[in-house]
Amino acid sequence: MALTRREFTVATLAGLAATSGMTLAVRAQGTKTIAVLFDGLYSEFWVAGIQIIREDLKKRGFEIMEAISDQDDNKQFEQVRAAIARKVDGIIIVQTDSNAVIPAIKAANDAKIPMVHFNRPPAKTDAFSVAIQADNQKIARDAVTYACEVAKQSGKKHKAAILIGDLGDPNAIQRRDGFEEAVAQFADTIEVVAKIPTEWNADTAFAGLTNALQANPDISFLFTSSDFLIPQIQQALKSADKWHKVGEDGHVIFTGFDGFPDAYALMKDGYMDACGVQNLFYETELAIQAILDLQEGKEVDRLLLDPGFAITQANMEEKAPEMWGYVLWKEKNPG
Amino acid sequence: MSPSASTDTPAAPADRPRALRLAKLLLSEYFVLVLCVVYVAAIYPFVPEILTWQVASNILGDMMPLLVVAIGQTFVLIIAGIDLSITAIISMAAVVGASVMTGTNGYLSGSAVAVPAAILAMLAVGVAVGAINGLSVVRLNMPSFIVTLATRMFFAGLAIWYVTFHSTSSSIADLPASFTAFATGSVLGVPYTVALAFAIGVAAHVLLSRTQFGRWVYAVGANPAAARISGVPVGRTIMLTFLISGACASVAAMMYASRMQTGSPIAGENILLDVIGAVVIGGTSLFGGKGKIVWTVFGVLFLLLIDTSMKLLGSSLFMIYIIKGGVILLAATVDTFRHHLLVNR
Amino acid sequence: MATLLEVEGLTKSFFGVTVLHGVGFSVEKGKALGLVGENGSGKSTSMNILGGIHQPSAGSMRLDGVPYAPASPKEATAAGIAFIHQELNLFPNLTIEENLFIDSFPHRGVLPFINRARIRRQTEELLSQVDLPHRPSTPVSKLSQGERQLVEIAKALSRNARLIIFDEPTTSLTRPEVERLFAIIARLKARGIGIIYISHALEDVMAVCDDITVLRDGHVAGSAARGEIDVQRIIALMVGRSIDAIYPERSVKPKDDVVLSVSGLSQPGVAKDIGFEIRAGEVVGLAGLMGSGRSELARMLFGLDRFARGEIRIDGKPLVDPTPATAMAAGVAFLTEDRRGEGLIMDFTIAENMVLASLPTVAGALGLIDRGRISAVAADMGRAMHLSTTKVDDTLVKHLSGGNQQKVVIGKWLRRRPRLFILDEPTRGIDVGAKQEVYRIVNGLVEAGSAVLLISSEIEELIGLSDRILTISRGELTGSFARGDFDREAIMTAATGLAGATEMRA
Repeated sequence: MALTRREFTVATLAGLAATSGMTLAVRAQGTKTIAVLFDGLYSEFWVAGIQIIREDLKKRGFEIMEAISDQDDNKQFEQVRAAIARKVDGIIIVQTDSNAVIPAIKAANDAKIPMVHFNRPPAKTDAFSVAIQADNQKIARDAVTYACEVAKQSGKKHKAAILIGDLGDPNAIQRRDGFEEAVAQFADTIEVVAKIPTEWNADTAFAGLTNALQANPDISFLFTSSDFLIPQIQQALKSADKWHKVGEDGHVIFTGFDGFPDAYALMKDGYMDACGVQNLFYETELAIQAILDLQEGKEVDRLLLDPGFAITQANMEEKAPEMWGYVLWKEKNPG
Repeated sequence: MSPSASTDTPAAPADRPRALRLAKLLLSEYFVLVLCVVYVAAIYPFVPEILTWQVASNILGDMMPLLVVAIGQTFVLIIAGIDLSITAIISMAAVVGASVMTGTNGYLSGSAVAVPAAILAMLAVGVAVGAINGLSVVRLNMPSFIVTLATRMFFAGLAIWYVTFHSTSSSIADLPASFTAFATGSVLGVPYTVALAFAIGVAAHVLLSRTQFGRWVYAVGANPAAARISGVPVGRTIMLTFLISGACASVAAMMYASRMQTGSPIAGENILLDVIGAVVIGGTSLFGGKGKIVWTVFGVLFLLLIDTSMKLLGSSLFMIYIIKGGVILLAATVDTFRHHLLVNR
Repeated sequence: MATLLEVEGLTKSFFGVTVLHGVGFSVEKGKALGLVGENGSGKSTSMNILGGIHQPSAGSMRLDGVPYAPASPKEATAAGIAFIHQELNLFPNLTIEENLFIDSFPHRGVLPFINRARIRRQTEELLSQVDLPHRPSTPVSKLSQGERQLVEIAKALSRNARLIIFDEPTTSLTRPEVERLFAIIARLKARGIGIIYISHALEDVMAVCDDITVLRDGHVAGSAARGEIDVQRIIALMVGRSIDAIYPERSVKPKDDVVLSVSGLSQPGVAKDIGFEIRAGEVVGLAGLMGSGRSELARMLFGLDRFARGEIRIDGKPLVDPTPATAMAAGVAFLTEDRRGEGLIMDFTIAENMVLASLPTVAGALGLIDRGRISAVAADMGRAMHLSTTKVDDTLVKHLSGGNQQKVVIGKWLRRRPRLFILDEPTRGIDVGAKQEVYRIVNGLVEAGSAVLLISSEIEELIGLSDRILTISRGELTGSFARGDFDREAIMTAATGLAGATEMRA
């Protein structure tokens, strides 16, 4: 069967009309769209973060435009501009670089689209945006303080080690400061013998911790600036025959940070004493609320702090449901 | 190949065999441009924004740094080389330039000559790395793939190290407004970046198609032995293509740094495959001897259209990679097919 | 006498163009048939039909009395037909034995392991049949061109070939290798194998073949037994008219002014204290075997290869540390022996190749290249060279015949009006008609006052064109012969270096 030219043209036009009609119909519902732009999904923290944001937005009836920049600040800038071109109603961003995000903030300002930084604040600028950040220092201090009390109750002196993050990352510095504030209160019990730089690299962390355990075989108190290093820590402690539960002989008092599912599992099994938890649910809530408030023209502070909390062997039952890692762990281990 | 622009409407009279028309279209220099139009038409119902002024100007802005690098790469590909170091040149030039002109502890903070000096420093980085590449290929007879892979790793690392001495954070910010205006300003309604890229494109086109050097580039790419015997200074020609590629990467570094208002040591890190892919989509051969600047312009445009439309659709980054990879593979296949048609014509 | 192959009324058309018109010939068992003709006369098409690559439009073939109509090269091989091509089809990275058995390695029973011992035994047997004193495990890359050819012949024998077709087998062989090849061919004939021998080198054809068939424009122009025909007659049949002289007379004598003077040119292992002069309007022939240093001398003069000591002067001015660019600036042009690899850029058009060595002359305003001027000068030069096509802008040189390609290379250099033109094997692999064109062009150049250094493996060509012949052996000049006393034997002897370091005769 051969199509005539006229038939062909009519069919093509009809097809075009049908498809564009469909898109118009989707757009016509008047739903609002939020762009969610992440740097990357490097650990469970970020995977959980984007998932929680996604679910929360869906629940509230928003459409989502997602993009990952994969550590490319120029690409992220282009993604912001694409979001602006699509006339989104708000942008939640985890920026790749705190300086390079500034032109993107300015572009959003010009388009009058509210912009919220999730978990990482930008560098100082005249452009306006709202940053949500965990109160790293306080959370770390609370968690480490609990661990110090446990140490004090043991009646023995303890030698301590800390795994420090990348010093270019303000979050890492704040967590280190929180740790130092806490141990300073217990100077008679705790002596810090090893400060191990990890540069947020698992291999570096493993090598550093192994070396520290060889130099100071009597280390019995450990703080990690992030839970994503747990597998390496477990490996290193096992090799040094220091992997024991709370109450057992040779137990290393162990404090984590972030609130990973791994951390919850270790708390439940009794290997970890305390963990500083970033309250992802609350941070998501803060971010979306900030966007809604800005749309309505309300004043919003430039920095909104997530106070977070410390989950400990003592308050585990009560606090677990607020811990994002527990919620994820529960999904994988139902019943 | 003569510029046989295929302006046939889709429903042309059926008296000419369809296969012949298809062949003619495939052989046309403007094949990739036609693909661009077809693609926009196909994607329009899903992202009508693609035809808005704002998106069009976004695409144009996003295209410029990529285009300038791709123009430099075209020269190197025609001499049957490859320059993988372009991304490291962009990073290195961006941080060196930024360290000269930044308002925070820059070498020339606040000085009137800070911006011109920074621009010269950025060009110097590109030309210097290009010279290392060129000398290694010409004098030491090393394959350009290995040479530029090595310089890429070296300068990518050096750029990050360099920043640690010049900034407390992972990048160098606080660039002078007169420099950042380059990305945002325009002359007679044409953005500066577009005007500069256009000038570079025209210059490169004339250089390749209308000068003795251009003839030399094609001759060296097609058959270096025959070129040498015909009196072509083969070494100097190869050297110059790497210098051009390096300088073009420096210009792209200026565009990125002014647009991001930051000298980042990872600027341009991920564009390597986009650049080479765009040049190949345009039709320039990886085996040398064949290529044109207009082809590269169309190739970059096509890749950017895909990229932007996917971004507007909110596709995940990984999906964009998969689609772009598929398109580049398709382009290579079409290139082989075109070659076949040309041979058997 | 039993007939091995009988071909009758072979006709073949491509896209309506008939390229073979009822060609017929026959090959007797144990005899060699010489098949000669200019490029495009139908030799290749006939052989492609014989080899199963093309199928004839009409006509028939019988092999040993049985109808033979191969549908594929595989069928031709199975029927016992083997080709020894000009470009050999061996894997240089593999050993001799691996090359011989590449498509049918014998296995150990049902096991998928190669039966090495059997391969070795059979390879040794085959190598002794072709007189190749190498171990089966020698990599082919270590063999000379002539030795590789013997491996190809051994491969044909290993497949029980009944008819072996040689296509230009001697072009890249040294003289001793040619002699050895002819001895092997004689041995193959004695075993009852039929031979088809295709070559432009008519002397070789006369030496090897028992019968000769001449093709012209797809027709058989004539057939005769060796004793009934001579080279002059063959050429006349090939070109369709009788040729009075292959080598045209020159009207001028060499002048007194020296264009090229070389003294004490030395490079370890390549050249030893070479000194000679060429005057304006003079053709100096350089005779030597492959590897004698003749091409290397040319490359040094043109600045392509380095030399340790010595002086080169062009028109009295010294050429210090020459590069191709400075040599060209001094007025030297160089036609290389490797036309495809070095002489031309195959993917460029005729026009682009023609102007490559003289780009500044086609520049217009602002030094930009003027395409119109390129077309015009290329078209002019194409006409002067009698090129087969006038479409100089659209035709890629890879689509030209060998003779026309060579004309493009010569045209490219003539545009520079060279003072000294070095020609390295200018007529290799091109047909008689094109050869004559080349000779005519050389004469024209010399008559205009240029000097020519002519390198050739064909002693007849040197004798026919040169005013003087120098011989070179192992990097040393071993003799000099003036036109009056050219003596084939003496020149050959000096070129092979057998005479030792004899006194150079002026």
